[in-house]
Amino acid sequence: MTTPTPDTPTPDTRRPVDPTVRHEIEQFLYREAELLDDQRFQDWLELFSDDVHYWLPTRVTRTVRERSLEVAGPDGAAFFDDDKTFLRGRVRRLSSGQSWSEEPPSRTRRLITNVRPVELADGTFEVRANFHVLRSRAERHHDTFFGERTDLLRRIPREPGFQVARRKIVLDTTTLLAPSISIFL
Amino acid sequence: MLDVSELVQPGKGLIHPSIYTDPEIYQAELEQVFARSWLFLAHDSQLPKPGSFVQAYMAEDPVLVVRQRDGSVKAFLNQCRHRGMRICRSDEGVARAFTCTYHGWAYNLAGELVNVPMQERAYHNEIDKSQWGPRRVPRVHNHKGFYFGTWDEEAPSFEEYLGDMVWRLDAMADRYDEGISLIPGATKWVIDCNWKFAAEQFASDMYHVPSSHTSALVALVEDPQVLARLHELNLTVPGRQFSGNGHGSGFALRPDIIPSQSGPEFDAWLDAHREEIYRRGGEQRALAANGHNTVFPNFSWLDINNTMRVWHPRGPGQIEVWAWTFVPRGAPDEVRNEIRTSTIRSFSPAGVFETDDGENWTEIQQVLRGHMARKSLFNAQMGLGHEKQGTDGMPGRVADDMYTEMAARGMYQRWADLMSGLSWQQIAELDRNRQQEVHTA
Repeated sequence: MTTPTPDTPTPDTRRPVDPTVRHEIEQFLYREAELLDDQRFQDWLELFSDDVHYWLPTRVTRTVRERSLEVAGPDGAAFFDDDKTFLRGRVRRLSSGQSWSEEPPSRTRRLITNVRPVELADGTFEVRANFHVLRSRAERHHDTFFGERTDLLRRIPREPGFQVARRKIVLDTTTLLAPSISIFL
Repeated sequence: MLDVSELVQPGKGLIHPSIYTDPEIYQAELEQVFARSWLFLAHDSQLPKPGSFVQAYMAEDPVLVVRQRDGSVKAFLNQCRHRGMRICRSDEGVARAFTCTYHGWAYNLAGELVNVPMQERAYHNEIDKSQWGPRRVPRVHNHKGFYFGTWDEEAPSFEEYLGDMVWRLDAMADRYDEGISLIPGATKWVIDCNWKFAAEQFASDMYHVPSSHTSALVALVEDPQVLARLHELNLTVPGRQFSGNGHGSGFALRPDIIPSQSGPEFDAWLDAHREEIYRRGGEQRALAANGHNTVFPNFSWLDINNTMRVWHPRGPGQIEVWAWTFVPRGAPDEVRNEIRTSTIRSFSPAGVFETDDGENWTEIQQVLRGHMARKSLFNAQMGLGHEKQGTDGMPGRVADDMYTEMAARGMYQRWADLMSGLSWQQIAELDRNRQQEVHTA
């Protein structure tokens, strides 16, 4: 079984990053968003480590008292729960010309904001960021996806300087107000 | 009563598309179809202890489904009888009581009104609390851990309503000694289409698979030669389709229960439980548990993909899909997890099969905005005149191919009978005669 969430070390092992690193990380995330918006999926795949876990759990409405149970756990329902092999399969499918929910393709615009990186004891970076993804399809179809991503980034000794080792995506919606998530978030 | 005889003609395989768009027809469906049929409420595993509850829907009506202290399950409308406020505003949880947040009327787990604030000062002790509980779902039936409910006191028993479809339902629900459980959490999403497109496809449509889902196999399989073999197999494997009481199912005749579509862990587990599975439902049924299914009107599942769902209607042009992944209750974590991930990756809003279904239904609904489009009849004639009874000794009406629309015609027949306001007794009588016609054909 894959590890479901970014490691959550004790607060004292998290260190703030200096402005240069913050800038590098922001540029990396913008670069990733650009590759997706430009539908360069093969190049996008390169940004993920071979042991990546790409996860979007479901969410329910609960009372304040039970709020810790709002987001499904690693054994629960999810929209995405992918490893690198399956991400490759999704990209293969998107390139097949027969992936009808993306053929003709969606037009997307990803807004990645409030980027909050911290450095962990092992030199990796945990990065929380907000996202607002807008998708236009066919003649007049329009969806929005919004929420927060928590990434685990590793330094690599080549461009673009980082790889995503884990991604947890949490939408702020419970019922998805869209017919599909045929794109990546 | 609406005259629907011109709108669907199951005997000729003709459908007038206005049944997917007309607001008046939709309102009649809520009354004649959904308020009279048995609807799926919840599964046992969602209600683990006394006070466990989920909010479910019966069409557009929110209902609370609650585990009682004696272990039974009760359901009632999630609507306060004072001014109609939603009593409980959580999707699920554990409760001791339900208190309406508007004026504070409080209900126990059975949905009985037990407290009215300022009962003496404001109501002069004149309110009869026993008369003002939320509307109860009068009939709740537990079929092997699956709770179904109906508002209709006249409806046949659940077993009678299900008819021969029990053979198919139990292929899923009663497959293992320890039963099944649901992976925690429903996946919910919205598709702008009429509910009948989804219900009908899961009742009757294996035909769309090679075209609609051709790219799903590309995601699952890398080797082009294996891919070509799988495509070939899909087109040549023999299959059957079942139709009865408006329900429908189609499936392949597979030589073995493995491979599953989940992976090696589940395959090994199934292999080890083969004797148990064959003993419970028979080998023929076990091998047939690989298809698509709808219990009329809106509960569907795919055996081999371990997904079940309700298509909640939300107006003539929208549905809310609630989907769950089912796993053998006794299976170890690695098997559960393999099934869980494979189902998420294939049948969920991001699943490589499911995304393309929504695309089809959304586009159909868009085109039906057109006046001429709504007047252009749809062809549901596949396999018309080739209906069979009891093929291979399987119960009920079984076509000798899975590529037919017999079950779609059966579904629209039941829909038309209910929409016409026929009594359950009249419908049963008509169905007996129709069965007879197939026999002698």
